[in-house]
Amino acid sequence: MHQLVKWLARASAMIGGIVLLGLIVLTTLSIIGRELSKLGHAMDNGIGAAIVALGVDEIRGTYELTEAGVAFAIFAFLPVCQFYGQHATVDVFTSGLRPRALGWLRAFWEIVLTGVILFIALRLFEGMQRYLGNGETTLFLQFPVWWAYALAVGAATIASVVALYCAFARVVEAATGRAILPEG
Amino acid sequence: MDILREIVQWVGLSRLELGFWSFPILLGLIFLRAPIGLAMFLIGLLGWIFAMNGNPTPILAKLKSETYTTFSNYSLTIIPMFLLMGQFATLSGMSSALFRAAEGFLGHRRGGVAMASVGACAGFGAICGSSLATAATMGRTALPELRRYGYSGGFSTATLAAGGTLGILIPPSVILVIYAIITEQNIAKLFLAAFVPGILAAIGYVITISIYVRLFPASAGTRPPVPWPDRWRALADTWPVLAIFGIVVGGIYAGWFTPTEGAAIGAAGTGLVALLGGNLTWRLLGEALIGTAKTTAMIFFIVLGASLYNNFLALSGAPQWLADVVLGQGFAPLLVLSVVLAFYLVFGCIMDSLSMILLTVPIFFPVISGLDFGMTPEHVAIWFGILVLIVVEVGLITPPVGMNLFIINNMDRDTPMAETYKAVLFFVGSDIMRVVLLVLFPAITLFLIPA
Repeated sequence: MHQLVKWLARASAMIGGIVLLGLIVLTTLSIIGRELSKLGHAMDNGIGAAIVALGVDEIRGTYELTEAGVAFAIFAFLPVCQFYGQHATVDVFTSGLRPRALGWLRAFWEIVLTGVILFIALRLFEGMQRYLGNGETTLFLQFPVWWAYALAVGAATIASVVALYCAFARVVEAATGRAILPEG
Repeated sequence: MDILREIVQWVGLSRLELGFWSFPILLGLIFLRAPIGLAMFLIGLLGWIFAMNGNPTPILAKLKSETYTTFSNYSLTIIPMFLLMGQFATLSGMSSALFRAAEGFLGHRRGGVAMASVGACAGFGAICGSSLATAATMGRTALPELRRYGYSGGFSTATLAAGGTLGILIPPSVILVIYAIITEQNIAKLFLAAFVPGILAAIGYVITISIYVRLFPASAGTRPPVPWPDRWRALADTWPVLAIFGIVVGGIYAGWFTPTEGAAIGAAGTGLVALLGGNLTWRLLGEALIGTAKTTAMIFFIVLGASLYNNFLALSGAPQWLADVVLGQGFAPLLVLSVVLAFYLVFGCIMDSLSMILLTVPIFFPVISGLDFGMTPEHVAIWFGILVLIVVEVGLITPPVGMNLFIINNMDRDTPMAETYKAVLFFVGSDIMRVVLLVLFPAITLFLIPA
């Protein structure tokens, strides 16, 4: 079970990371194309004309893909953040607690956090249905907005599953005093 | 839902009062170890419901698109790209190239290897926007060298922890991006403004080191000088850093591309350097992606909570009310600024810099921008941003929760934390003197920025 959730969280982060890498390559190529095209138009000779004739230019819709891709990536990144206990906290005021009490405190917040992640995922699903209903599309590439939402809902579902497991694991940790989830 | 309405009526607070009560309650939750983003999300949500007299429908409707809109915000997409760039930078081998170059020129002086570490940190900061990554990477490179040349444990760890803060002072800087977005300022101008204070920070640390080794001569050894041709060759090896920094920061400033596009090019460039240097295996690429994923998710969860909370605060009118009251009292602008900066210094000791900025800038910024410092509003915003950036970064090297101190100290098991604390106070002193200097002479920060 633990290994499966760990694999799920890491695989999800990997997919998000690969999307991010793809966007980085896409953006870089787009800028090179745009600058070459500017250069081609500026040069008043054969080379310039050749560049223009090749039709090199920026890649249309890069902005839209970046926005949709990064939104998906961030939802896909949530599970590892949760699994490895990476959410920012202030620890100084509770560091004096006995391990038992601290364990229950962490379990409590983990449960609340899980509740919020499930809540966010459900709201996102409702949002997707709204765009499914109104058929809105993006400006340049004209793809339906609900596609981007659907990808985000998929990632948020994985985040919800991992969050449920983490809440369960923190409760077991608090009850048994044994560490289950990795630190850092 | 009727129960909600009854509770709200029983509590019976006006919106403004809700705004004021929300802050101490939020702090209470955070001090009870609630994840910071979660606490802001919850209080923001409850605040909205209370402000709507117990009617949850508006906020529930808003939340259908709020998370997606926040996570897909084009200005914010720069953050994962800069974080990945930082991950690639740690794999690029540039940390040792920078260290060799700096050490060639400085190593034979008294305290020279420590000065070289600071110089290399500054160089690394030009391709990495995160303090922790800079401290960790330079620590791995420079700590063994410092110990080899007989530098004392606490002095070595303190130098690297302080040097790590240059990662975020010298652009690109993730924290500045967040500040720029909250206050609706131009990222390129903020990067440009951070440049001179960042260099000043490095110079201040070098001076600190030279004072330290004179006070405690036993704490530092020396090494034989490196021949001049070798020095130049080592310097030449650092060209990718200069090229990437020039293209990214220069290109954003010159308007060739948007900040996000600049970050993408920077990430592609540092990735390429790591790949060509043979340091980028599939396994390390995977680790870099996972590392980026953890930090990105952590940051965006706080950004999400903050956006909801700040939305509620704006709705309550509390920040504007506070600004009006402070401005109405006719306090001296410098006094108000000093109080705010002192607050950040104290708070920085217990909270991480990003959370602190997201939590407090929306409250303090209206106050500061309403004061008359004899500058344009844009200059005030940029100047305040750089000052806040510096004071929150001091928190990374002050006890009890200075993250940089922990990272470096963990690498050197022989050195007790107390030794690091003692030595780092000298660097904190240097930081505070720099803040005073920048407050008294805004031109140091602003002379590069066109009015």
